[in-house]
Amino acid sequence: MEVNITKALSVCKSLMKDIEKWGCLKQTGVSLRYMMEFGSAPTHKNLLISAQFLHKELPIRIARRAIELHSLPHGLSLMPPVLKVRDWYLDSFRDLISFPEIKNMDDEKEFTEMIKAIKVRHNNVVPTMALGVQQLKIISEDPDKIDEFLDRFYMSRIGIRMLIGQHVELHNPNPPPNRVGYIHTKLSPVNVARNASEDARSMCYREYGTAPDVNIYGDPDFTFPYVPAHLHLMVFELVKNSLRAVQERFMDSDKIAPPIRIIIADGIEDVTIKVSDEGGGIPRSGLSKIFTYLYSTARNSVDEYENCDLGITSNVTMAGNGYGLPICRLYARYFGGDLQVISMEGYGK
Amino acid sequence: MAARKAWETFSKSLIEEVHRWGCLKQTGVSLRYMMEFGSKPTDRNLLISAQFLHKELAIRIARRAIELENLPYGLSQKPAVLKVRDWYVDSFRDLRAFPDIKNMIDEREFTEMIKAIKVRHNNVVPTMALGVQQLKKSLDPKIVNEDLVEIHQFLDRFYMSRIGIRMLIGQHVELHNPNPPPHVVGYIHTKMSPWLVARNASEDARAICCREYGSAPDVHIYGDPDFTFPYVPAHLHLMVFELVKNSLRAVQERFMDSDKVAPSIRIIVADGIEDVTIKVSDEGGGIPRSGLPKIFTYLYSTARNPLDEHSDLGIADNVTMAGYGYGLPISRLYARYFGGDLQIISMEGYGTDAYLHLSRLGDSQEPLP
Repeated sequence: MEVNITKALSVCKSLMKDIEKWGCLKQTGVSLRYMMEFGSAPTHKNLLISAQFLHKELPIRIARRAIELHSLPHGLSLMPPVLKVRDWYLDSFRDLISFPEIKNMDDEKEFTEMIKAIKVRHNNVVPTMALGVQQLKIISEDPDKIDEFLDRFYMSRIGIRMLIGQHVELHNPNPPPNRVGYIHTKLSPVNVARNASEDARSMCYREYGTAPDVNIYGDPDFTFPYVPAHLHLMVFELVKNSLRAVQERFMDSDKIAPPIRIIIADGIEDVTIKVSDEGGGIPRSGLSKIFTYLYSTARNSVDEYENCDLGITSNVTMAGNGYGLPICRLYARYFGGDLQVISMEGYGK
Repeated sequence: MAARKAWETFSKSLIEEVHRWGCLKQTGVSLRYMMEFGSKPTDRNLLISAQFLHKELAIRIARRAIELENLPYGLSQKPAVLKVRDWYVDSFRDLRAFPDIKNMIDEREFTEMIKAIKVRHNNVVPTMALGVQQLKKSLDPKIVNEDLVEIHQFLDRFYMSRIGIRMLIGQHVELHNPNPPPHVVGYIHTKMSPWLVARNASEDARAICCREYGSAPDVHIYGDPDFTFPYVPAHLHLMVFELVKNSLRAVQERFMDSDKVAPSIRIIVADGIEDVTIKVSDEGGGIPRSGLPKIFTYLYSTARNPLDEHSDLGIADNVTMAGYGYGLPISRLYARYFGGDLQIISMEGYGTDAYLHLSRLGDSQEPLP
């Protein structure tokens, strides 16, 4: 890992001026419904409009983050991994504003390739930032400020990657049925839950030699529009945590490990997915910690993180980085939902 | 009754005393302390307790009397609220007029007096509810339940304080009982089985459901009936009763006209190190996320308000399945009184889970708003 402190100091003045200018501009949000309706007709005209919108919107969002990375509390901004991340943001900003006006489909195609490359450049932001926070030995006051920053930062990243990914996917000449970019217009949460649970169980198997059952209750034919990758990530994380808790609790016991239960309910306002376990619970005093970054009850395995697209890692372990729950909650909140955890200490004996 | 300021009803010097005492610092007592102190109800201890209450009750009551005078939106002038305010000022006067407690004869008289004070205040909750109702009628209809945040916050403080005052009085009075049941210290049962209390409360709730609907869904309770810990059974009974009542109503309304069998309510009792947690789960269709903040506000109810039918406000002897909109917020205050909490999570289209956390350590000080 290179330490580019000199590079940080010599960032060219005019670039910083541009960053400050763009970072003050107003961001424009896009709803799931809008993305779906717009993307359902990926005509040349629409792709051009989308590219032109992103050409302005992405630098605004990226500049905001670059500015924030510069002025973090507790000296976090000077940690080498954070400098690395900041350089990625600066480079991407520069790429975007130096790209000429998008006037025709050739420009649009080149632009799409460029933002694809930007997304790849930022693939490992999460573990790299994690390393930077790790290196901060002393956090004297206000540890909440770091959590607040990381929440904003990662939420923004989810949005940027959603916009880029959605635009790139719309160029797919043969999209699967019922797909609009990343969005599946008829997503079955029961199916996603099944897949995510199976993935989590196989990981549990690999690590412990066995895995508790997962029972899913809900209507497999019920569908609604959502981003499957997001839902998969969230359910996977929750089931992983539940499996681990139950496994640890019943490993050395004669009793059979009670199954994890998933209930999927479709309401008018919300679809709610409940993941319940009898893994012994979390004491009330410990609950506030579970949504902070870098809290983990297991050994830290930052170094094992590999390619991080959408936060899914290739060598995922059962536990270790304390990034699962906070980031899951961000994904839930990104489209107006939420993630709540309630625990019954001692339940599961 | 015409709206009258306190100084029109009571003497100036009394009002000044109320203000003076209302500024004094309150002293909280923990469950553990109440238990240890009350386990030896010697004459000496009863004397100490009476002397403590002689000062402490006056302070707590004065605070509330002052607040009742200064409520927003003209709530203080509503006839029902004036009535409550008069009760508080009368009780303050009784306490201040009582001479120093020097011996067991004084102590016995003092105990009778605070017993009477407790009775005087028996109907505070429905009376305040009527006052808020009177306020709502006179308000601009554009002001919605959620706008009255200050009123909700006041009621939370007010009722929490009332729980504390009644706990202290009740505890002291009970310690005079010459034949207390085994394992009981005043209101506290040192070996309370939450499983048993949950079963009793569920049966009471099912009885009401039967009376009102002709049938009632089953309630299954999971947990160790032999597990016990120190707590106030009356509080726990109230809370579980309320939660089960709500669940039964939701399930009944959902499955009344259906062929399907009403799914049972499930209660789980879990004992941890910090907390005992009791979960009440139903499949009554749930509450949409947008509706959740409302359920802990006062006077939100999805049913008709039974108060409208009672012109003469006695005690609401006929507990109904719904209508007050007080059950949940007050249950939560009881939970928080000894350091616990009540959380509701719902799955719209499916059902609701209520989590009652009871602190086991017993060390939390009473909350003193």
